[in-house]
Amino acid sequence: MKTAASCQLSVVSKKRTRIFCASALLRFCTSALFFLFTFHFSLFTCEAKVYIDITSPAIKKLPIAIQEFSGQEGKNIADIIRDDLDFTGFFLCLDRAMYIESPTQAFNPKNWSAIGAEAVIKGTVSGEQSLTVMISLYDVIGDGEIFKKEYKGERTSIRQLAHIIANDIYKHITGENGIFKTKIAFVAEDEGRKGLYIMDWDGAAIKRLGIKGDFVLRPHWSRDGTKLVYSSERGGQWGIYLLDFMKMTEKKIFTSRGLNMAGSFSPDGGGIMLSSSRDETYGIYSLNISDSTLTRITSSRGIEVSPAISPDGKLVVFVSDRGGNPQIYLMDRKGYDVRRLTFEGSYNTSPSWSPDGKKIIFVGRQSGKNQVFTISPDGSELTQLTDTGNNEDPSFSPDGRFIIFSSDRDGDNGIYIMRSDGESQKRITPTWLRAFGPEWSPN
Amino acid sequence: MKRFFVLILALGFIFAGCAQRAVTTQPEQPASQETAQKAAAPETAKAEKKAESKETPTVTKAESEKVAVVSVKEAIEAKRSIGVFENIHFDFDKYYIRDDAKPTLTAVSAWLIKNKSSKMLLEGHCDEWGTNEYNLALGERRAKSTKDYIAASGVEKDRLDMISYGEERPLCKEHDKECWQKNRRVQFILKTQ
Repeated sequence: MKTAASCQLSVVSKKRTRIFCASALLRFCTSALFFLFTFHFSLFTCEAKVYIDITSPAIKKLPIAIQEFSGQEGKNIADIIRDDLDFTGFFLCLDRAMYIESPTQAFNPKNWSAIGAEAVIKGTVSGEQSLTVMISLYDVIGDGEIFKKEYKGERTSIRQLAHIIANDIYKHITGENGIFKTKIAFVAEDEGRKGLYIMDWDGAAIKRLGIKGDFVLRPHWSRDGTKLVYSSERGGQWGIYLLDFMKMTEKKIFTSRGLNMAGSFSPDGGGIMLSSSRDETYGIYSLNISDSTLTRITSSRGIEVSPAISPDGKLVVFVSDRGGNPQIYLMDRKGYDVRRLTFEGSYNTSPSWSPDGKKIIFVGRQSGKNQVFTISPDGSELTQLTDTGNNEDPSFSPDGRFIIFSSDRDGDNGIYIMRSDGESQKRITPTWLRAFGPEWSPN
Repeated sequence: MKRFFVLILALGFIFAGCAQRAVTTQPEQPASQETAQKAAAPETAKAEKKAESKETPTVTKAESEKVAVVSVKEAIEAKRSIGVFENIHFDFDKYYIRDDAKPTLTAVSAWLIKNKSSKMLLEGHCDEWGTNEYNLALGERRAKSTKDYIAASGVEKDRLDMISYGEERPLCKEHDKECWQKNRRVQFILKTQ
């Protein structure tokens, strides 16, 4: 095992340019990930009344009106918020053509109850480059203004600003944290090479991370969202690499002869699971990142790959062909108490956990095509979620309400998103980008 | 044997023109004509040295000079990328050695036993059907089965390296049965010393 010196990474804005751009790197580091550009304070807080109970099995969509905000980028910001809320499926965003009240008029519940709106968002934007956005959320039927907040941000980062506002509105209405600030890390093909990419959860702001190598496998996030671990083939050897977003550096953390593939991070972020054929037999290992200690957990003459640690840190789900074909197995962290989880079909792979640990999502082959399924860790509740094309590499959003996956249903492979019940499947990457192996950031 | 090796070289030169493995070979390709010549020079020297040795199959000096005009470097690239032995194939989702692969493996073993200084890279590949990580592992197991088979006939294991590319480097890109079979393979790549 070798630890190579860290090397500097660059981030490239994906507008068909291949120039490694320092300003993009700077912007990426400072804004996209850590939101240093925004500070906001609450002028008015209102204690949690839940307007839509999204935990209830029968959800009635909340009719909401989102007015075009006044000022610079006002329409853009309002549209991004509307799209965010709309995608969740918990809101019915009313068409602006229906609105009786103009954006400059004061809120009057009668104007909104007349068109069936139950919640209204109004806002103003001031400033040219540094924007100040004032947002008000109104309850039409009951309490009037229930939330008001001022946000500041740069005009160049309005998507992030709008996602932050959408998160706050979502939280006030549902009582739960939104996912609108989250990112997707994935693999895409650029001139025959596969590289690592990152984008907003809705497919906007696609950026290429400047890593070396011709091949890279699906990345895995650390649970604090500051690191990625992934496998890459460089110079005829498969190594495991760690990318640190705080420093924008990459470090080789494991390599050996044979095939080495990164699994998930441990909950504390200090270690990862991996699979390796270093001894010419396959095994699942845990690797302590700081001191490079490698502990063998399983051993097989066949194939054992794709280990993923449960959110509570107690179990590991993985793929083994010990039964004659690839199936999904569970074991504890030390490799004891191994049990087979999947019995339907002869090819089940790529497992990962839901954030609450109550579901495992995986890819199963059915009628010659790869489909996304979920199953409970006790083997019950097997549910098929996709049925068109080949669908691979599924992972849950941090709130467990959405699933991201790759699919070839429209020709070339792209990244798709759907609700956790399989509804509202849609492509979020552009058709000109061959994309694979998405994983949703934890925050 | 002598004729066999010459044939192998000749085949290498014929195939040199279609060795379209730009993705992998690019970094190793010299950037200029000048470096290409530099790279070619030691190879010519090696060919001469080989010609003096009785153990290794040889090509005559005249022949090696003749091909050097064509480009020794291309010939080496062709040997590396296409391989001098036919690919062997595997059943769907399987990594055991099929009977139809055994004659090729016997020839590979015999050649390696005779050419003690040579090393072979076994590249495992898969069709597009499986999922990525499992396919990589499957490709690796195919290379491993091949390695074990060759080693069992007396070739030292440390002369047999393996790498898996899973479904990343298909030989054939159509989405049909014939193509998938062609892609479920192990390729033999002679490693230049």
